[in-house]
Amino acid sequence: MNPIITAFANGIKKSGIELSKIVVVSDIPFDPEIIKELGIDFFHTTRGRAIAFGTGLKLGNPELKVVAFIGDLMTIGGNHLVHSGRRNMEMLVICVNNFVYKEIAGTPSPSVTTGFSAFSTFEKPFNAPHLANSCGAVFTARWTALHTNDLTNSIAYALPKPGFSVIEVLSPGPNFYQDINKIESELLNFYFQNSITKNKEDTRNVEITADEKIITGEFTDKKKTTFIDSYNAQLGKILGDKFIPLGGQNE
Amino acid sequence: MKANPRDVRTGTYYMDGDIAAGYGALAAGCRFIGGYPITPSTEAAESFARIAPQSGAVFVQMEDELASVASIMGASWSGVKTMTITSGPGYSLMMEAIGLGAMMEAPFVILNIQRGGPSTGVPTKTGQADMMQSRWGSHGDYEVIAISPDSPQELFDFMIKAFNLAEKYRCPVMVMSDECVGHMSEKVVVPPAEEIELEPRRIYTGPKEEYLPFKPDQDLVPKMVKAGDGYNLYVSGASHDERGYPIIYQKGKNQSDSTARRLVDKIRLNADKIIELHEEKLDDAEVVVVSYGITSRVAVRGIELARKKGIKVGKLRLVTVWPFPDQRISELAAKVKAFVVPEINYGQVVYDVERCSHGEANVVLVPHGGAGVHDPEDILEAIEYAATEKKKIRKVIIRKTRLEKKVFGGGLK
Repeated sequence: MNPIITAFANGIKKSGIELSKIVVVSDIPFDPEIIKELGIDFFHTTRGRAIAFGTGLKLGNPELKVVAFIGDLMTIGGNHLVHSGRRNMEMLVICVNNFVYKEIAGTPSPSVTTGFSAFSTFEKPFNAPHLANSCGAVFTARWTALHTNDLTNSIAYALPKPGFSVIEVLSPGPNFYQDINKIESELLNFYFQNSITKNKEDTRNVEITADEKIITGEFTDKKKTTFIDSYNAQLGKILGDKFIPLGGQNE
Repeated sequence: MKANPRDVRTGTYYMDGDIAAGYGALAAGCRFIGGYPITPSTEAAESFARIAPQSGAVFVQMEDELASVASIMGASWSGVKTMTITSGPGYSLMMEAIGLGAMMEAPFVILNIQRGGPSTGVPTKTGQADMMQSRWGSHGDYEVIAISPDSPQELFDFMIKAFNLAEKYRCPVMVMSDECVGHMSEKVVVPPAEEIELEPRRIYTGPKEEYLPFKPDQDLVPKMVKAGDGYNLYVSGASHDERGYPIIYQKGKNQSDSTARRLVDKIRLNADKIIELHEEKLDDAEVVVVSYGITSRVAVRGIELARKKGIKVGKLRLVTVWPFPDQRISELAAKVKAFVVPEINYGQVVYDVERCSHGEANVVLVPHGGAGVHDPEDILEAIEYAATEKKKIRKVIIRKTRLEKKVFGGGLK
């Protein structure tokens, strides 16, 4: 987790965004200890609800830059991912993917590739960047926790970018999973060594499989009207002068 | 603090309760509603959505109830007044997050236009069977405030009351209405803005570096700031210290440091200030009809009929259902013969009446299965029974309505 937070801190610095305007929301699996040191506002919510909570923060005060650190992005929080992508809600989602429910018992998550875990998972995994891209995210990327510079750059780029951005970060879940799979140490390094960077790769091709290299890089980068801009444009068209836009004269 | 004239649609209307609730929420200064449509509450969301954009407020139809309630807590911490609107199954879906709201002490309001249950139940008709869920629905110890309007006018008025209570005590506040009031059309008077008193947020104003987000004031409620104001907030659903840091990681801290104690106490110890009751004809009463919401209106007729027959009966209406008026019920129990409790459920609030009567007065439940309201004659029958029963019966006495007797033939014996 620490290399990711380091990259996050460096990314914020590089983006030039005022620290006090950044609000981090997370859900339960995200270990928040180190976040205290960053000097930013932090909300630790229930499992899977970080994006939904962040939506409220953003719409309550459109000046905020909301960053959601999520573990359960594609399971219990899946619906919020799907619809925030569709709405293009302004938010940066950093999905920390360790393939397992780390804090529970190391059971496989729906992002783990076929063949891993105790009885060799037979379920098909999600391809996070492709899922996010399909839902309408304007920016998707995947890095391992050791791609510190690349991750920093992606965060610095995605933070000010208007719209819904998703960065997947592969990070070890050092509980049960590694014993079961005989990957005894250096899981971090294992991910790093087994990855290959292909920027702008079609997200359809970046699924993580057991026998091929993990594809990292920045995949999606497009422009789309954000939720707040669409809302203001639509209501402004209908209500004219009577309309007070979001982020306008709110007291 | 007065309401903003921009938010108040002053005038006299003929409108249903749901629509009045939307007007009330905006007048109370609500700036964000995240909701998911569900019968019979949808018109309240619609009404707010129509008038909100002219006040810089927004209604967002979220992807589900889980998102709705999570989003309003986020909005609450961003510094605005927020609420969500729901019924039956939607209310059940919100329960987990209500515990988070209590823990984060985010002021927010939930409007529940109750319908018949369980599950899909009778979605288009009335019920009062979510009362206990309001109090105990989320896991763990916490307290909420629940108020119950009985008319469209009150749905307007009580939205303002609810937002004020939420800001004052920083806890989830439930407006427990029902389909009957929600869909009833009556005269609703929206007063001028200067006549609407609003409770301002308890904003911290001291030195930034000394701010402790969960350090309580004398009334056990802490002061609040907004996200994005540079206070380095740490707000968590985990049991936390005054700084907000989870105590689970801290050596030497134990359950006695838990926030749950204060979350409970800040409502229980302030109960006298929170509780509002409407009492009528209690001076000489031997029987007291305890009711809330739509049932308190129906009960009026039952009481009138009984008074005509010479029975000394009075009315105690629970405007505030939670926290429960333990003390007042206990006082009355010592001097009256019996309580009659009509509810549109098979017994919820009645058991609290029984608890507080300490076996001193009989407690008579008039249950109703929902999809309609009581026939006042059934309440009259229960009052007559309660007035004449000489024995002390140390359990809740159930007086079935005539409809129920007819349908179920008196039930299993």
